[in-house]
Amino acid sequence: MNQKDIPAVNPNTPVILEMSHISKSFGAVTALVDVSINLRQGEVLALVGDNGAGKSTLIKILSGFHRPDSGTITYQGKEMHFGSPRDARAQGIETVYQDLALIDDLSVYHNMFLGREYHKRILGLKLLDNRKMRDLAQTYLNTLGIDIPSVNSTVDLLSGGQRQSVAVARSIYSSPTILVLDEPLAALGVREGAHVLGLIQNLRRQRSVSIILIVHNYNQVFEVCDRINFLHSGEIVLDASTSETSEEELIRIVKSGLGRKAIAAAAAELRARGD
Amino acid sequence: MARTSQTRQATAHKVGIKVPDTAFEKVLVILSRYREASIAVVAIVLVVYFQLASNGAFLSPQELSVVLRDTGRFGLIAVAEVMLMITGEIDLSVGSTFSLAPYVMVLITISWGVPLAVSALVGLLLGVLIGAVNGIITVRFRVPSLITTVGTFFLLQGVVVSLYNSQPIVAPVQEPFNEIFGENLYSPTDSIWSWHGLTAFTPFLWTVLVVAAMALVLNRTTFGLHTIATGSNIVGAQEIGVRTDRIKVYNFMIAGAFAAAAGVINTTQFASADPLAGGPFLTLQAIAAAVIGGTSLLGGSGTAIGSLLGAFVVATLNNGLVMIGAQATVSDIYLGAAIVLAMILNVAVDRVRARRRI
Repeated sequence: MNQKDIPAVNPNTPVILEMSHISKSFGAVTALVDVSINLRQGEVLALVGDNGAGKSTLIKILSGFHRPDSGTITYQGKEMHFGSPRDARAQGIETVYQDLALIDDLSVYHNMFLGREYHKRILGLKLLDNRKMRDLAQTYLNTLGIDIPSVNSTVDLLSGGQRQSVAVARSIYSSPTILVLDEPLAALGVREGAHVLGLIQNLRRQRSVSIILIVHNYNQVFEVCDRINFLHSGEIVLDASTSETSEEELIRIVKSGLGRKAIAAAAAELRARGD
Repeated sequence: MARTSQTRQATAHKVGIKVPDTAFEKVLVILSRYREASIAVVAIVLVVYFQLASNGAFLSPQELSVVLRDTGRFGLIAVAEVMLMITGEIDLSVGSTFSLAPYVMVLITISWGVPLAVSALVGLLLGVLIGAVNGIITVRFRVPSLITTVGTFFLLQGVVVSLYNSQPIVAPVQEPFNEIFGENLYSPTDSIWSWHGLTAFTPFLWTVLVVAAMALVLNRTTFGLHTIATGSNIVGAQEIGVRTDRIKVYNFMIAGAFAAAAGVINTTQFASADPLAGGPFLTLQAIAAAVIGGTSLLGGSGTAIGSLLGAFVVATLNNGLVMIGAQATVSDIYLGAAIVLAMILNVAVDRVRARRRI
């Protein structure tokens, strides 16, 4: 819908991330089977699929929270082995998880800088520079137009939308190379959702950060994404740019609820009929 | 004050934040904000009561020395329990570490003629090691620390009584080590402001220093921030890159070290290493101090200063009641009631905090 004012990603832009043949099981539960995705510089990729399709597992592998059983992650031309979310963040991969990963007992500004705190030395002691973090958080949230009562209040006092905004602000503060958003619009009202969508759209316009977005609302997928990867039962069943597919097609794939081959065949058939 | 008005403001244009309406809820909200102050009030009330009931004897240097020495002993362990309870863990083995570390210290000095200062360091390192083992068992094998440390409590208690036929050993006195770390040189003829007067309170003063340091660590360092994050939302903390396992193990090591230090100070005070000096009762008194000090059992919140105030309340109840002529066992009734009351209050305050979430 907003496609017109944002030009498509140049197909010649380099691939910045390649996750190849990723498999992951949790005990007897197989979450991902031989999944491969790639991401270009500045591209916004939507990861869609039903509940339990493996979307969150896939991005938690990228963020270093889980380690894959097999498969490789190639990031900026180098093979990566993230041992923890700390490693991935250090490499410029930021993730906003579904649960937001906010610490209720800490203030907004401590949450903003958790894991990359600013320090100052007093009598040789490395202490938190709370004033600096407070000021930076306040300024940054103002810049993004995020309205919260105070950066000093603990995040348990914020509304759902405010919490989500703070989590998103934290993830883009460090100008990451890759930004992963797991259902950033869940639990948001219309107005707040529109605001977060606006933030994503702004980032997309600048094409400075590559984004992986997990969304359930297909309407929003087409609004802010360049390409769609459809994950079903731990496998990618569709990889198409938003201009090559439609909301109806996605809904048909979801409704069919078939296995990989049947869905792929159905998808192929549907596309053939479209041509 | 500022926060109250912010809360009101937020309520004005946003759903979600519940304005406290009953008087009881208002008190709980205030308590959740000024926890240390409310315990300080309790402590002052107790002091005034015992001072009046004992015809002014409670605040004499001799009695105060006893109370504050107890406060120091409980407080040093309690502040470590607070750190652990903030991460959502607990250490019940501190009572055994308290006995074992100074026992080993004295055995080393007697056996090999090593200065106490050196063997005390060995005792502290032993405490750190015990903490590390507690922590690693808890995080690696995912055993609840309540169980891990009950196990290590008995194990270490068994070790310390089997080291030397469960005999108390007379500890050597080496100055200035002893007078710095707990020996009481004060006699009624001394001025309270002399060095001898000071030694009446050394265990307490060491604990005050440690508590102040831990308050700084908790509120002004990355380690403290990550300790709170670990207990408040462990999955979220991990997702954002906090090494929660490491934070927990470090806090277990602190608990081991502080329990050992408290034991060393106790042994230095009495010039005797008793294998039964600590025991389960000491562990529980330290936890009582932490709980009375306002530390939440849910993890994520607690105060270092509160643990010292809680320790003072426990020590005051123990000694004050005896002083005004109650049987020693009667003080347990009051201590027990105080713990239950404090817990009811803590849980109520936690519920107010939880209810204010969306």
